[in-house]
Amino acid sequence: MRRPALLFALVAAALVVAAPSASAHPLGNFSINHLDRLKVSSDRVDVVYILDQAEIPTFQERGFSSAQVLTRKRAEVSRRLELRVDGRVVPLAFAPGAQISYPPGQGGLKLTRVVLPLTARVAHPRVVSLRDGTFPGRVGWKAIVAQPGSGTNVHSNVAASDPTNGLRSYPKSSLSSPLDVRDAALSVKPGDGQLTAPRGDGRVATTHNRSGDGFAGVFADAAAGKGVLVFFLLAAFGWGAVHALSPGHGKTMVAAYLVGTRGTARHAVALGATVTVTHTIGVFALGVVTLLLSALILPEQLYPWLNLVSGLMVVVIGATVLRKRVHQHHDHHHHHHDLTTKGVVAMGASAGLIPCPSALVVLLGAVAQHQVALGLLMIVVFSLGLAGTLTALGLIVVYAQGHVHFSSRLATALPAISALVIVSAGLVLTVQAVPKVV
Amino acid sequence: MHQLRSHIGEGPLLRALAVTLAVFAAALGTFVLVNQRGSDAPSAAGGVSVPPSASTDTRIASYQQLVRSHPSDSRGYDFLGDAYMQKVRETGDASFYKRADGVYTKALQLNPRDPAAVTGAGTLALARHDFSAALGYGQRARELAPFSFQPVGVVVDAQVELGRYQDARRSLQQMIDLRPNLSSYARVSYFRELHGDLSGAIDAMKLAVSAGGGAAENVAYVQTLLGNLYFAVGRRADAREAYRTALETFPGYVPATAGLATVSRRARALRLYRSAVARLPLPQYVIALGELQQAAGKRPDYALVRAEERLLQASGVNTDVDLALFEANHGSPARAVSLAKRAWAAAPSVRSADALGWALTSAGRPGQGLHWARRGLALGSRDPLFLYHAGMSAKAAGRAAVARAYLSESLALNPRFSPLYAPRAERTLKELGA
Repeated sequence: MRRPALLFALVAAALVVAAPSASAHPLGNFSINHLDRLKVSSDRVDVVYILDQAEIPTFQERGFSSAQVLTRKRAEVSRRLELRVDGRVVPLAFAPGAQISYPPGQGGLKLTRVVLPLTARVAHPRVVSLRDGTFPGRVGWKAIVAQPGSGTNVHSNVAASDPTNGLRSYPKSSLSSPLDVRDAALSVKPGDGQLTAPRGDGRVATTHNRSGDGFAGVFADAAAGKGVLVFFLLAAFGWGAVHALSPGHGKTMVAAYLVGTRGTARHAVALGATVTVTHTIGVFALGVVTLLLSALILPEQLYPWLNLVSGLMVVVIGATVLRKRVHQHHDHHHHHHDLTTKGVVAMGASAGLIPCPSALVVLLGAVAQHQVALGLLMIVVFSLGLAGTLTALGLIVVYAQGHVHFSSRLATALPAISALVIVSAGLVLTVQAVPKVV
Repeated sequence: MHQLRSHIGEGPLLRALAVTLAVFAAALGTFVLVNQRGSDAPSAAGGVSVPPSASTDTRIASYQQLVRSHPSDSRGYDFLGDAYMQKVRETGDASFYKRADGVYTKALQLNPRDPAAVTGAGTLALARHDFSAALGYGQRARELAPFSFQPVGVVVDAQVELGRYQDARRSLQQMIDLRPNLSSYARVSYFRELHGDLSGAIDAMKLAVSAGGGAAENVAYVQTLLGNLYFAVGRRADAREAYRTALETFPGYVPATAGLATVSRRARALRLYRSAVARLPLPQYVIALGELQQAAGKRPDYALVRAEERLLQASGVNTDVDLALFEANHGSPARAVSLAKRAWAAAPSVRSADALGWALTSAGRPGQGLHWARRGLALGSRDPLFLYHAGMSAKAAGRAAVARAYLSESLALNPRFSPLYAPRAERTLKELGA
């Protein structure tokens, strides 16, 4: 304490700064890091409390057995984790499934990792708040993330995304501080599992999570070894199929294209196959690019650009088609509007081109958890589900065309209208993408 | 359809792949271009005003934003690095050293002649006890910015730790001429303390406190140091007052909590040290808690210090004199000697000399121990612990008169300088028949 200019944390500095070794805890050997995953459903509130203790606090508990450590952590959580529903305190009960493990740390020392599921019975909550006062004064990553529940429509003041993958890896950028979020407030209405939450990068923009990070959540469960692979592949397929119906996946474009070009059933199937292939390639390519650039660029910074480029591409495709229609019309040069497989492939490629963030999250999550093979497999299955829906949609359009008699004027106008639809869809995508880039 | 067909080419898969890659390339290209464009924008690093009273977290957030919007201006990184360093001082969260290292390195890549970044690198070198490197950075920063006081602070600290007291005196005079503020007064105080001028040290530290400025933690820190000085001369009530003021200035401040423990009754002291260790288990607090437990007849727990030592070794860090003293008092004397020799080789200061002397005495070489203890006191320091080490070494070396003189001076300064060692000094003095 005799050196005014030096810091009281001199030894701590030596522990970290001069430590090039990769095994040192990224948040310092003293840190106690914790994360709450908060899920509000119409009849219950679930919290998963995750704890990651660095070497020194783990060492401080060396005299205790793992069961005793678990008891100590439960006691801290019971005492300092407070759930309030509609203004009154609701006790959280420990649910089965608590885990404790001791991953290796630096200098032959160990870390402590604890997962404590908690739950509370509630009835149609309106306002839910969680205050995590555990381990006061200890340095580390402190976060609460919201997850979509069932039967609710939730507006959260904390993010839905967790950049640490459940406190397994921490952002390395020198330009960001560890999170220090100990309070969450959620307003709840009856709904179908919607969650609106601020973006994880700390900016003010909000995103809307459609039935949550379902796919990524499924993956986390699979990685945890709970359940059968087949079940997860089915879930991935189903999720892909549902995901195709969400806005922004080009289904309008695809349908319009098929209508405009009088496709056949064969074309609809080819279209689906192409979407699968391009979407899979897209996710893999973006995954590789993201991994390579992760040191330089945050994926969320990359997305706005990808969206802009895809929007512009769609505009160009639509404009090309439109120009040809108009040209043909003036020349009275009535080709039979037959469709080649190659044409379908081009359309499918542009529809499947921009992989959805959910799929990318799965792939990167898989890489982070050394479950690459499972991640790749699930991406393929996810894309198959996506393509299945698009193909079905295409088939419906094709058969509807066969059974419904259009007037001859309408039949002439349809291709041009479809081209206009494509251009408009592209313009909407572009306009949406621009503000996020500028 | 002819045109469209001709556009599509041969392999549909290859085509799809090519299109996909083209999109990524285009997106990346645009991304990079826009980022470049950002960097050409006129610098606003100097233009952003963050009020100095803003909390450290607020400043960090503002500077992070500033650096994102002006990624090629080194000054934004300097501000951010300094705010990170302040964050470590406030919380002990050492992960911010890593971040500071990252941004100073970036600033130096952008502008190797940026004095604030060079100073920042020097401060980091001080923090990891690489005093030679710190001196190099400090001097380079001083050349780049001759009228700035911050680089001189790094130079002074490095010179003091390296035992170059004459150079340090000159640098310190230059610093106080440039800017008589909290930082320079605090250094003057420490310099006087090292030379045994304890009342002069207290005066200078009072000036540092009243100069104030900067973050609240900075003021709390000099208030805590003032408390330590009062404690050294046995003014316990003044010390308590200083620690309490520090805790009012910056609630929960761990160094002040530990300071308060030194002037509290045993039960309260144990509680205060436990809370300090629970929040920030630095070896110095763990050792202080252990010595108090030992004095109370309880079993001390020093294993944590050894675990921290292992972490230091795993990181390839030159260990500190504090650990040498710990080994001499509570561990292996042989290990204490080798640690202290290393400490002396890296930083030949009076602190290192004192530690080496005490290590040698504990290893059964009190003659050499006394020799090094005297070198530790060569500047005239009147640190009760230094004097205790010298007295006990003299006693073991059979120099009763010398031992009496040192031990009685130590106890005269502060009869309760340590819960463990002050009673030992008294006992030894009685044995010597004082």
